[in-house]
Amino acid sequence: MAIAIPDIRIDAGAERREIDGAGYLLVAFFALPFLLFNILPVLFGVYVAFTRWSIVGAPKWEGTKNFIKAFHDQWVRVAFENVLFYGAIIVPCVTVLGLLFALFVNRGYPLSSLARTLFFAPTVVSATVIGLVWVWLLDTQFGLVNHYLGYLGIEPVPWLTSTRWSLVGVSIASIWWDLGLAFVLFLAALQDIPGEIIDAARVDGAGRLQRFRHVILPHLRPVISMVVTLQLIATLRIFSQVYVMTNGGPASSSSSPIYYIYNLAIVQNLFGYASAVALLLFILILAVTVAQRLLLREQT
Amino acid sequence: MAGWLDDRLEERGLDRADLLIWPLGMGVAVLWGLPFVWMVSTSFKYPSDVMTVDIEWLPSRVTLSNYMKVFEYPVLRWGFNSVVQAGVATFLCVLFGAMAGYALARMRFPGRDALFYTFLASLMIPTEVSVIPMLLGFVKIGWASSYQALILPSIGNVFSVYIFRQFFLAFPKELEEAARMDGAGPFNLFFRIALPLARAPAIAASVIIFTLNWNNFLWPLLITFDESMKTLPVGVAAFTPVVGTRTQIEGYSIAMAAVTILSVPSLLLFFFLQRYFIQGISQGSLKQ
Repeated sequence: MAIAIPDIRIDAGAERREIDGAGYLLVAFFALPFLLFNILPVLFGVYVAFTRWSIVGAPKWEGTKNFIKAFHDQWVRVAFENVLFYGAIIVPCVTVLGLLFALFVNRGYPLSSLARTLFFAPTVVSATVIGLVWVWLLDTQFGLVNHYLGYLGIEPVPWLTSTRWSLVGVSIASIWWDLGLAFVLFLAALQDIPGEIIDAARVDGAGRLQRFRHVILPHLRPVISMVVTLQLIATLRIFSQVYVMTNGGPASSSSSPIYYIYNLAIVQNLFGYASAVALLLFILILAVTVAQRLLLREQT
Repeated sequence: MAGWLDDRLEERGLDRADLLIWPLGMGVAVLWGLPFVWMVSTSFKYPSDVMTVDIEWLPSRVTLSNYMKVFEYPVLRWGFNSVVQAGVATFLCVLFGAMAGYALARMRFPGRDALFYTFLASLMIPTEVSVIPMLLGFVKIGWASSYQALILPSIGNVFSVYIFRQFFLAFPKELEEAARMDGAGPFNLFFRIALPLARAPAIAASVIIFTLNWNNFLWPLLITFDESMKTLPVGVAAFTPVVGTRTQIEGYSIAMAAVTILSVPSLLLFFFLQRYFIQGISQGSLKQ
């Protein structure tokens, strides 16, 4: 679950003019762990990225060597290519399905609160649950998915055990996991649309699709842009499902940047190089965030 | 007859298409929940009834042996670690977040807004960038595989500050003023007046942050070298059946028992406090 996009409202709660020194103290309790564990490691990480650092011995300054190595490392290329494929599958599916599910629940049919619970439930469980349940569901020989596809005359698909399908298999599990957040964000946005506007359109004879296209969709533009960005960033950071379901395999076919970073650090003990690759991923994520902000500003 | 039907539908603001959409949508919703049913159902089956060609949605023979076998692993210890890790980190994050959120919303001091925007801007930094350097740091000071290492990095979750600041921005001034007249200092004001009234954001922040911490995966995986210091999600991840070995035959029934245990706390929390989850998330991210 990714959370919180800034609120750009500067609002003084109190109108008093004097300065409240105690404010610093109240903030300090949060600010201290925040600085130590959210900010400091990032700065330290930038330094580590320019060194050769294994768990024993002192770090050695290497300049940009790690970055040059990364650009020539075929496994870096594979990991970043994979994550683009993940994005191409997961982001549109989560956005479109999340919106459809939200439109359905928002209609207020009988039992729609049950539907809401079911759509959101997978989002609250751990990646381990998601991963193991889907490893079982996607089992080539005895999995439910292949069993029911068999009725349609489809041969068993080696979802997680072939280089061709592993990425798709992990994506299916990720969609099931991630959809809840997009769904809730869409639902909240739909509930913010005044009912009178939609009623007015209905009275004017606008059909379901027209109402969606001309009344609802324009209201949803900002939230769609937000969901796409949040989901894209979440997908660029894909790791735990990959770790649980395929270990990045077979033959790195489902690996991801974070999985590769994990592998470099924990298996190969190349902490400097791992930090350099992490920094590259960070730059990519930052670019996505900035691009979304700029696009949204242009639209509004 | 058709006219009567249309009238009834119109009364509810529906039309004929809804008669199709409703069952279709509910069908998809049920489908969406089925993996959980399959998970629980498999966990109660005998291992020999799991890998079968015929699909048994409800087990014909029920057994608890999978759960017994799960407890042959240090699952209780992992569960205890998870409770300590998620519990303490959530408590501190919500308490400190409430204090900071209150100060940022209600008090005046230079640099207040700069602080808030620094907190928000940090959301653009993915935690994955900091895990490697943090790992090096914790290992250097000898805190690998420790509760401090599991707890400390989760305290600075900005979501908590954000949700309390939003709440306190709309807080009625009169309450504070009355207390201030009585000579209450800022800490008194916060703990006696403001915090007790912030029940709703406190619950919302707690359930969401607890869920995030309970499910946290990458950091506990990296920092726990000791089997006995693993958290539940990391420990249970090792139940993945390995293709072509004996664990594949027995594996799924045990694995499903393990993940059922793992998912119960978060699912229960969600079912009973659903409103807070959904409000918290939409509040936390929608106000652009």
